[in-house]
Amino acid sequence: MDDKKYRQVRVLVVFFVGVIMAISLLRESFLLSTAGIVTGMLFLALARSKTSISLDEREKTIREKAANLTYAIFAPTIGIGAFLLLFPTHSGLSVFAKGEFYYLESLGMVFAYLALFLIAIYALSYHFLNKKYGGGGDEE
Amino acid sequence: MEVAVMKNKQNLSYDDENLSFRNKLKVFRAMHELTQEQLAEKIGVSRQTVNAIEADKYLPSLGLAFKIAKLFKVKIEEVFVCRGGTDES
Repeated sequence: MDDKKYRQVRVLVVFFVGVIMAISLLRESFLLSTAGIVTGMLFLALARSKTSISLDEREKTIREKAANLTYAIFAPTIGIGAFLLLFPTHSGLSVFAKGEFYYLESLGMVFAYLALFLIAIYALSYHFLNKKYGGGGDEE
Repeated sequence: MEVAVMKNKQNLSYDDENLSFRNKLKVFRAMHELTQEQLAEKIGVSRQTVNAIEADKYLPSLGLAFKIAKLFKVKIEEVFVCRGGTDES
């Protein structure tokens, strides 16, 4: 199976799983939705095992740049979001004093930990890749 | 000599803004009577990558550039031309 056929199969499987999920929602059946997801995953795994997927360098470069851009946008956004959600709570502004928006503090904490987690993963992966690609050696 | 700056279009790893890159891939491909699809298959990339290289929208890696030069049995400098920089000879 080539790459093009694999993509067509993937679209079909996603459509199939979507239909099953819609039916399971209407019938409120957890079992049906689980069965649909598991079946879809099995089909995809089987199709992938029969496919020779080749990723050329341009595709790799595009994915790297897209991941970089996603991180560059997402990490500061949730960091700033966390700050904006936590600061008013701790500064005692009247809008939060009544306790109506108490959940916002929890949301801010989740965002803050998520931002820290992202930064930690970036730092670890950078360190690992820097070593892998020969960085950090003593100058000869 | 007019120097074109293409740093926003290509996968450049150079900081020198005066470098410009051109390639004669389309010429060599025509000389060998290959379609983009056929060339892509021979060098192990997608047709879109060959198209992007010919349109000067993507700068191939060193390995790929050598593969292309080897396929056409020419030197790499005959396919890929770099102009500008500080040591232009």
